[in-house]
Amino acid sequence: MSTQQNARPPAPQEPADVIEAIYERGWTDGLPVVPPHAAGVQAMLDAVRLKAADEVGTIEARHTRITADKVAINAMMAGCRPEYMPVVLAAVKGLCQPAFNYHGPATSTGGSNIVLIVNGPIAPELNINARDNAFGPGWRANATIGRAIRLLMMNALNTRPGVLDRSALGTPGKYTFCFAEHEAGSPWEPLHVERGFRPEQSTVTLFAAEAVIQVQNDLSKTPEPLLICMADAMANLGSRNITGQSEYVVVFAGMHTQVLRAAGWSKRQVKRFLYDHARRSLGELKRAERIAGPIEPGDEQRFQHVTRTPEDIIVLCAGGAVGQKSACLPAWGSPEGSRTVTMPIELPS
Amino acid sequence: MLDGILLEKAGIPAVSIITEPFSVTGREMASSWGVPEYRFLQMPHPIANLADAELDARADGLLDRVVWLLKVGQGPE
Repeated sequence: MSTQQNARPPAPQEPADVIEAIYERGWTDGLPVVPPHAAGVQAMLDAVRLKAADEVGTIEARHTRITADKVAINAMMAGCRPEYMPVVLAAVKGLCQPAFNYHGPATSTGGSNIVLIVNGPIAPELNINARDNAFGPGWRANATIGRAIRLLMMNALNTRPGVLDRSALGTPGKYTFCFAEHEAGSPWEPLHVERGFRPEQSTVTLFAAEAVIQVQNDLSKTPEPLLICMADAMANLGSRNITGQSEYVVVFAGMHTQVLRAAGWSKRQVKRFLYDHARRSLGELKRAERIAGPIEPGDEQRFQHVTRTPEDIIVLCAGGAVGQKSACLPAWGSPEGSRTVTMPIELPS
Repeated sequence: MLDGILLEKAGIPAVSIITEPFSVTGREMASSWGVPEYRFLQMPHPIANLADAELDARADGLLDRVVWLLKVGQGPE
């Protein structure tokens, strides 16, 4: 099996010199990294009670085994605190799940983010932001946990632009993309409970997504107009999903959540409505050459939905209390290409 | 690419064909699997929007090289 990043970090020098030396070795995402050192890496390993050579998982298609030291070094370089390690470790195990199929979304021209959604008590404990600017900067845990995963992908799995990352455009979320669900602000059961975990079990959900599409509706006081806007965004003609029919993540921020809560809509109702309305006729798809073939009688009345089932639309709450904004995140690929996985975050006893 | 490598490892003759812009990626995959000199064929990109007749022409153009690589395999020429 191949391994990457076998060379040891450079010997201690002036911090700026070390940072430059790391750039020269190609170990960064373009931003400066924290120079790793033995004591710091050991603290990362201690936080999850692992030894350097312990195996965390394997990316079968890359024929590459991931050891704990690679996770620890990249987490430290990303700026993580040791207490973030259980989240990082769970996310790395998620990358290795066959259903997630790392090689597809990581390598494809589609240029997916690896979106990390944290649920459970660990989110407030680590101050993982779920509210204002949930997808944006300002929180160390959000910024560095997501970045640790990307650095590991680049340094330990050779997922580098033009090599084993063939993104045509990529997206800024590839630097880092980690947020928590705003469970306290949600009218529904949180994502991890919906997916079979106990509320007190912290989890991280991995979702290979294309870029975020923000949806605005500041007039609607009822669910239907709001959700029609969302469905329209989900079913744009250029969307990968309109042909791939993979999963979709839909994130409602505070004021839109209030509209849905006031109307008493269940999560299931929301999914069903979005599924029914996020679609395009075969006629539209053929005229736009998103699918091949001549237009046939009945094509204007036959529809392709953006997901195969309502359950493939993952609905959750995050974001600030003000602003009539929500967002949808199309999945990379197809349901066979990559599936969302939710991993338990194991805390050392 | 990976399918071809795995078939060859299983003793089944195979020919991997990739489009030219992915030659670097194909070579890296071969290196990951411990066969950095793995032989594969290349053709122009893209293929997704080719009509049936164009695809047939591509296949015809590749046929001699496919036969050659099946005969040569991954051993010495």
